[in-house]
Amino acid sequence: MTQTSPRSEAVVSRALDLLRAANTRLVSIFGSTDDNRVAYVHYLIDVSSREYRMLSSPVTGPIPSATPITPAAAWYERELHDQYGIECVGHPDPRPLLLHENWPETVHPMIDDVSNVPQAEGQYRFLRVQGDGVCEVPVGPIHAGIIEPGHFRFSVIGDTVLHLELRHFYTHKGTEKLFENTPVMDGVMIAESVSGDNCFSHAVAYCQAIENAFAISVPPRAQAIRLIGLELERMIAHIADVGALCGDVAFSVPATYTARLKESLLQASSRFFGTRFWRGIAVPGGVTRDLSSAETGEFGGIVMAAARDFAQMARLILNTSSVQNRFESTGILTAEIAKQLAIVGPVARASGIRLDVRCDHTSGRYRDINVDMPLYKYGDVLARARVRIDETAISMRLINETLKALPAGSVLVPVPLSGSAEALSAVESPRGELLYWVRIRDGKITRCHIKSPSFQNWPALPLAMPGNIIADFPLINKSFNLSYSGCDR
Amino acid sequence: MIGDAVERSLRSPQVLISVSDLLSNAAGSRMPDVHPDLLTDEIAHRVVAACPTSALKIDEAAGRKYLVLNYGECIACSRCVAAGEGAVRYAEKVARCGVSKEALIRRWDIESRAEVVHDEPALSQAAEQIRSLLGRALNIRQVDAGSCNGCEAEIVALTNPYYDLERFGIHFVASPKHADMLLVTGPVTRNMAVALKHSYDAVPSPKLVVAVGACGCGGGIFGGSHAVVGPVDAVIPVDAYIPGCPPTPSMLLTGIVQVLSPFLSPSRRQKS
Repeated sequence: MTQTSPRSEAVVSRALDLLRAANTRLVSIFGSTDDNRVAYVHYLIDVSSREYRMLSSPVTGPIPSATPITPAAAWYERELHDQYGIECVGHPDPRPLLLHENWPETVHPMIDDVSNVPQAEGQYRFLRVQGDGVCEVPVGPIHAGIIEPGHFRFSVIGDTVLHLELRHFYTHKGTEKLFENTPVMDGVMIAESVSGDNCFSHAVAYCQAIENAFAISVPPRAQAIRLIGLELERMIAHIADVGALCGDVAFSVPATYTARLKESLLQASSRFFGTRFWRGIAVPGGVTRDLSSAETGEFGGIVMAAARDFAQMARLILNTSSVQNRFESTGILTAEIAKQLAIVGPVARASGIRLDVRCDHTSGRYRDINVDMPLYKYGDVLARARVRIDETAISMRLINETLKALPAGSVLVPVPLSGSAEALSAVESPRGELLYWVRIRDGKITRCHIKSPSFQNWPALPLAMPGNIIADFPLINKSFNLSYSGCDR
Repeated sequence: MIGDAVERSLRSPQVLISVSDLLSNAAGSRMPDVHPDLLTDEIAHRVVAACPTSALKIDEAAGRKYLVLNYGECIACSRCVAAGEGAVRYAEKVARCGVSKEALIRRWDIESRAEVVHDEPALSQAAEQIRSLLGRALNIRQVDAGSCNGCEAEIVALTNPYYDLERFGIHFVASPKHADMLLVTGPVTRNMAVALKHSYDAVPSPKLVVAVGACGCGGGIFGGSHAVVGPVDAVIPVDAYIPGCPPTPSMLLTGIVQVLSPFLSPSRRQKS
């Protein structure tokens, strides 16, 4: 095995030291190769909730694992090994992550030839929980509802869950590799297809990364329209989530009611923007659709009406004793565990962790607007529902304020189609911190890394399960509402 | 209290969309349509150059030049609409939902500015007719074989009060063993191929399989990935295709009804 060069050792140990500090949070660990095919590892760390600091180092051999220092690194380092074959010494769980047993363990897609990779065979090793009366309940990858695929392996005694192990990446599509050699203007189409219900967040994060790379300032009006789209996507997601939580406690009437409100917002998007999910709106340089002043009022009216309707309904839902009984103290994620796993988004805020890209790493129109951050400390299903209900009202206010003061001017500026640069950008997607890091050579993407909030948050779900009954799993899972495709990429 | 939430729900307005307004409706889908009266050779070449997939092509046969649009390959990026100078616009209607792979393809003769004759699917507009056929008993098992979740979001919307799929006697079931139809989304990933095959095998015969979305129909933007096997028909036999990225609830409903239409009018089935 080749020795790690002294320079790279120094950088890696600096990164690990930084992760030991109290004021830091791991954002991502990922690999890349430079123009001479030398592999690099990048540690992306949020320092004091203010600054994204990246430490990059060439890698010529095994590197020390960051997982013993911060468990949040566990999946990133498994991904790093799958993609680049970089070994992280001291990792407690070096099993493959993205690549299932159909894939030969010796082929690392980001550095090796991937044409005609033969089918491999093998058996995944699940953790075996042993003892009198312990039963295993395997669920998935295909589930009962219309949802994405993933595998859950429960170890139970009676109804009570002792341990839950996740096995994901069934929807792994090699997305990060697909970005390679894509012209910058085309990459947004891939970004939009990473997580279909958060496609606008992905599109904006990608576009902002490109714009940062080329130091392009997007017209204020385009930034405002992006803010409206991001907040509308959040409203739609949160309204749907609260409805789905009702559905999971057999409270189907309000579940249907919220589905109607969600649809009214999708139809408004279709009517005023020509797309139900805001696909094709964000492009590097701005947005492709504008609103006339007449449309502004009408569109705003529909959004406000849906949000007010939802707020009233949400109050009735939370006042229902059977809902309280099921939501309260179910699926508790403690602040301590949430911190260790660097959890983001509404799930973090429901466990009392003050974290929101819109406040901490502001970009675009968010620089000019004040975003409130609801915080709850209990970390249960009820807290996660409350965060979503509060944030829906906040999003409505942000949309309203933005619509009332839409800056004049154009919505799109040209982007250079050649040039080389690197940059990152983050947005607060409905599920939390979503970050794109891009490297561009001669107008083409040579590496695009997606830090997805779901990839970050999935490992926390099993830690909210022990002690709960298995019948509450759908409810707890829904309260996290994580994307499978966004995680698996 | 529980009564308050129920009461408020029951007082909410009726929003059900009528069958005739739903079928073929493509609003919000961003799928293209060609207006041949404005089509020129130059525009045809321009829109083909703008297309990031192979959905749009120029085909030359027997001295004639055709603009070919394959809805199954279309990811609804709308670049052709931007480049088409009115000759390519957002489709108000897309009837090619729930059809064979060949029927996803439309052709226009560029010189004569006319669509090459085709059988535009004629759909029953009568909810009653659909219901009488199904007898309230079409069971669909949806399988996500690797999708981005966009198609799932729209399939779930079919059950909301605007579309209310259950009014036709169509419902989603939890097990493939209870299903008449598999509705499959996504490019089939390497990691899902086995599970998809098992699901297919578990559906009792006779069974129908419908591939949904750009990825399900043709692999979409993920077609060339090392982690993807291909479109749905690369793994299991497919009876019909619903294009779109994602297809809107109207297009999904159109597709599901279309798949059943041979059973609706036996005479039409014999003709085709």
